[in-house]
Amino acid sequence: MTEIISGNIFAPSDDIVAREIEGELIIVPLVAGIGDMEDELFTLNETGKEIWRLLNGKNTLDEVVVALSSKYNAQPGEIEEDVVGLVQELTNRRILIDVSQI
Amino acid sequence: MTFPKFERPQFQVIRADTLPLSSEALLDLMSAVLTKGVPFRFYAKGWSMAPFIKDGDVITISPLKSKPVTVGEVLAFRHPQLEKLVVHRSIAKQGAAVLIRGDHVENYADGLVPMDDIIGRVTKIERNKRQIWIGLGPERYMIAWLSRFNLLIPLYNWLSKFTRCRGRKKNA
Repeated sequence: MTEIISGNIFAPSDDIVAREIEGELIIVPLVAGIGDMEDELFTLNETGKEIWRLLNGKNTLDEVVVALSSKYNAQPGEIEEDVVGLVQELTNRRILIDVSQI
Repeated sequence: MTFPKFERPQFQVIRADTLPLSSEALLDLMSAVLTKGVPFRFYAKGWSMAPFIKDGDVITISPLKSKPVTVGEVLAFRHPQLEKLVVHRSIAKQGAAVLIRGDHVENYADGLVPMDDIIGRVTKIERNKRQIWIGLGPERYMIAWLSRFNLLIPLYNWLSKFTRCRGRKKNA
C-alpha cells in the first residue's frame, strides 16, 4: 500500500484510459495490455471527478485540497480526509501513481 | 454567492455490460484505447456481419499501427454518413480510401471510407468463450470478393438451406 503524503504529486497511470463520456467519467484499466469491456470499469461521482481533474501531475495533494476548499467553500481540514481516502483507493488500484519521485 | 456542496468522493466499480454506452461513446472510448497502441475488446451488437460475427460475440479490435489495410480485413471505423462506430469488411481499395460493406448487408456498401476514419482491425472473434477462426484467415479474400459481387448472401442462404435439408434427412 502506497503511503499518501500531502506534499506529493499524483497523476493518472499510463495503464488506464479515462474519458468523460456523456457526463460520466469512465476509467478503463488496460489489464494485460488490453482495454477489455468484459472487465471491470470504474467511475467517480461529481466530487470524485473534480478531484480527478486536479490530480494532473502538477498539483501537490495539498494544492488539490486548497483548490477544492475554495470551490466548495469548505475548510481544508474538513475535506482532506475524503480526498486522501479517494487518492489511496485509486493508488491501491494503480489507477493513480505518485509522480513526485519521477 | 452560492457554492456547490462537497459530497464525499465516491469510486464505483461497474461492469461494462451494465453501462448503456451509445455507439458514439463506444467509438470515443475505443479510439482512446487504440491511440495508446493497445487492443480493445468488447461485445458486438447486430447481425450485419453474420455469420462471421454475430450479435453478442466478443471482438478484439487492434490498432492499425503501420501495417496497411488489406482487402478482406474486418475494420472498425467511423461511418462517414452515420458518424457512428461500424465494424464491417473491406471489399476493395481505391487510392487512399477503402470500400467497406457488411457481410450480411444486401445491396448496400458503406461507401468509400477514408483511411483517417478507420480506427482499427478485428483480430479476434470469440463466441461462447471459444475463438472463431473463420472469416479472418486467408478465406477473407474470397469473402470480400463474393461480397463485392453480391454473391455472398445468396451463397450463405443456399448453404443454410442445404444444411437444414441435410439435418432434416438425418433426423428422418
